[in-house]
Amino acid sequence: MNAAIIGQMAVSGALMGLVYALIAYGFQLTFATSKSINFGQGELVMVSAFFSLTLTNLGFPYWAMVPGGLLFGALMGLVVERAGVRLALEQKSEGWILLSIIIGLFFFSAAENIWGRDDRPFPTPISADPIHILGVDVTRLELSVAVGVFAIMGLIELFKRRTLLGKAFEAVSADRDAAELMGISSTRTVMLSYGLSGSVAALAGILVSPITTVGPTMASALILKAFSVAVVAGLDSGFGVVLVGMFLGALESLASFYLGSGWREAPGLILLILALALRPNGVFGKATIRKV
Amino acid sequence: MKRILLLRGAELIVFAFLATIPLLVVNPYALGLLTLLAIYGILLIGLDVTVGYLGQVNLAHVAFLGLGAYAAGLVVTRLGLGMVPALLAATVVGLVLGGLLALPALRLEGPQFALATLSFAALSTTALNELEGLTGGAQGLSLSRPTLFGHTLTPPLFYWLCMVLLAVVWMLMRNLLASQWGRAFEALRDSPIATDAMGVGTYAHKVAAFALGSALGGLAGGLYAFNFQYLQPQSFTYDLMIILLLGVVLGGRKSLWGAFVGATVIVLLPNLLSSRHLFQIFSGLGFAGALAAGVRGLVKKTTRPFQALAPVVAMGLLVVGGLLVENTEDWRKAIFALMLFSVVVGLPEGIMGFLALFLAKLFRVPHAPLPEPADLDTMLPVRPADGSALLVLDDLKRHFGGVKAVDGLSMTVRAGTIHGLIGPNGSGKSTVVNVISGLYTPTAGTLQLRGVTLPSGSLYRVAQAGVARTFQNLQLFGELTALENVLVALKGVYRNPLPMVLLGLARREERTAQAEALALLELIGLRDQALVKAKDLTYGAQRFLEIARALARKPDLLILDEPAAGLAHPDVLQQIEFIQRIHQRGITIILIEHHMDVVSELCDTVTVLDGGRIIAEGTPDEVKRHPKVVEAYLGQPPQPELPGGTEPLPA
Repeated sequence: MNAAIIGQMAVSGALMGLVYALIAYGFQLTFATSKSINFGQGELVMVSAFFSLTLTNLGFPYWAMVPGGLLFGALMGLVVERAGVRLALEQKSEGWILLSIIIGLFFFSAAENIWGRDDRPFPTPISADPIHILGVDVTRLELSVAVGVFAIMGLIELFKRRTLLGKAFEAVSADRDAAELMGISSTRTVMLSYGLSGSVAALAGILVSPITTVGPTMASALILKAFSVAVVAGLDSGFGVVLVGMFLGALESLASFYLGSGWREAPGLILLILALALRPNGVFGKATIRKV
Repeated sequence: MKRILLLRGAELIVFAFLATIPLLVVNPYALGLLTLLAIYGILLIGLDVTVGYLGQVNLAHVAFLGLGAYAAGLVVTRLGLGMVPALLAATVVGLVLGGLLALPALRLEGPQFALATLSFAALSTTALNELEGLTGGAQGLSLSRPTLFGHTLTPPLFYWLCMVLLAVVWMLMRNLLASQWGRAFEALRDSPIATDAMGVGTYAHKVAAFALGSALGGLAGGLYAFNFQYLQPQSFTYDLMIILLLGVVLGGRKSLWGAFVGATVIVLLPNLLSSRHLFQIFSGLGFAGALAAGVRGLVKKTTRPFQALAPVVAMGLLVVGGLLVENTEDWRKAIFALMLFSVVVGLPEGIMGFLALFLAKLFRVPHAPLPEPADLDTMLPVRPADGSALLVLDDLKRHFGGVKAVDGLSMTVRAGTIHGLIGPNGSGKSTVVNVISGLYTPTAGTLQLRGVTLPSGSLYRVAQAGVARTFQNLQLFGELTALENVLVALKGVYRNPLPMVLLGLARREERTAQAEALALLELIGLRDQALVKAKDLTYGAQRFLEIARALARKPDLLILDEPAAGLAHPDVLQQIEFIQRIHQRGITIILIEHHMDVVSELCDTVTVLDGGRIIAEGTPDEVKRHPKVVEAYLGQPPQPELPGGTEPLPA
């Protein structure tokens, strides 16, 4: 087999893998503050993409559509937090797993009926012409994914480190009770994390849609792989999700090339189950000491 | 007895009624629905084992339905075998694959577990789709219903077969869940650490429960295959999984009846959605119910505003939607979502949970009388307190990164004594206890119990070796009664193998166990509260119950981790008396305590720790006067030659 083709497959796979990493990063944001994740995150990606498409069709330029989409994502994230997560967290139960699945199902059905069941193209001003870098063809569209992913992750990490609100976020992540005693409202911080997570999901939708098209089921495969990335990397390592995301993207691109496209999902799922068996806290996760 | 009769009677009436339906009604459509009801009943009973008893969100159950269906289908089409081998194969496929998935997945909790099961389900759909040579892929697999012992199964006969299987599954599960197994399943949901420390293998029980539930999923799959006689991978996806969860949650978790009610709802749902008129009636009823419950909850202040209002809003959306939308079938998923949302938020115990409360009020059937307590001298014979070395720690170390929590500890605990372990906060007492009981693996050093090296790093195996402990932060099984808490830990009574338990032939040992558990409850003064849930006991009673539960292990060594912490003075006095009673039975005790009066009153020997090392050892009086101990607790004594040395010490 030609090394150039393998390289090509690996690079475009890895760029795609950055989208998984971005969605997985959204899981980490909410897991840090509340030890919960939104199981309907894929539907959030999808409805935000549809909403952004509507904005574009209404004539909004790209630079105005993106913030609009992010805002919508944040709002939907807040809806999930209020309706699905807060009560369960107050009761210290794991009801949020079921409730976030349910809210996702509602979003799915709403999208099916509002925007239709068909896949639609997502117009973008960024060109899809390949450019030649180091012997590999990459499109500007694919590069825009990388730029967008690193930009938002960088911004959020800066926010967490440099602003007072961000420090409050870190404080709640480190110790919820201690943060509460210092006068930080953990409820508001959890809301903030769900808002941010929603925005991150929306951006993932906006970045990936021009490549994959927009449809109600666009995120169902995406989300499984994002889950795999989050669990394999560990739910507390932002650096880990990027590495694992790119690795998984490259791996599945090669798998679908050699085994057939039906097996595309398999490497991620097998990787996940293997990681669970060998390192339950994730490859980059920290083991916790049990205390009684 | 009356209670049992009522329950059994209700079961008998329902099953008899269901069995006679084909004789009275000849509507093939209705018969089809009833057959499906039986199949989904088995499926949901299986799902309830993980979702209800283990308390984990299991998203792989639909995969076991599919794998079981394909297994049965392939046994018939490829191997040409009959109904019985096909159903057996379906069950075994569920059991084995369920066990294989559970081995890695059940090391996880909560979200990671749900993710792992979700991934398994996706993987199995992929496999069914892609292994075209075997399964026919997306084209599907057609099969015809094989004969059973030479009889062709007409729809009524097949229906009866499904009903008989449901009844058998029902009976076996009822026996299992009422036994020590079922109690263990519930206990490990409340506190996995405590089940391990009580010698009930947490992990093994979880895997067994998951495999069992999956086996039922496989069996239901086999019946599903023979019912529809056509299989497609797309039938077993996430959508169906959501509906199954709806069934279990709506029906009521931890309840066979709940699974039955849930199955009924699932079977009737498509019919409900196909007629707009019918849908409007039911959504209106749902809205009225949510409104009534919400208002009642708000007025009586039993529910939070969100819990009362959210279901009303969700049901209101259903009603408004039902009036606006032309075709309710298009909004199927949104309708499921709103219904499920209302139930999860507003009726977390499900229909059966709600009904059970209601019926309990209506009939007020007393609990079956408990046996007389067993004789303590026979069940827990007095051991000789010969003062020989029971537990020997040699140069024990446990470091956490750079923190030397325990740093070179050598100590001998003599048989029949109460050995105190004291020291200031952070001196390493709890770490020592956690190393002895197997929660932590020692960094270096050895531990020997009666000259035999203790297993390290496994609560379960240390418990099996004869060490029992209590917990500083209570680790009771809150949802179980005081009696059941003790029963879970009880050693040496449950001997009957699983098949006997399943067939309900293990009742006699259950009575023996109850008698022994009651004797232990009597020892700590809780006999009259045996049937109260642990979470409803007073704080003092909970501390006492922890000791009774540890005693149920009939241990050689009992470790009491701050048994008087947070107790009011009268309770402390009682606690001292209980510990003395246990001591009189010759059981060796390690006592960690902050109350010096308790230590002085009880202990034969006291070891004082500071900074992970021993600073003094001896009788309570010797230790109290030891200068290093005084220093560790009160700080450096004032040095006369230093300026300001005569000032009082800071508090």
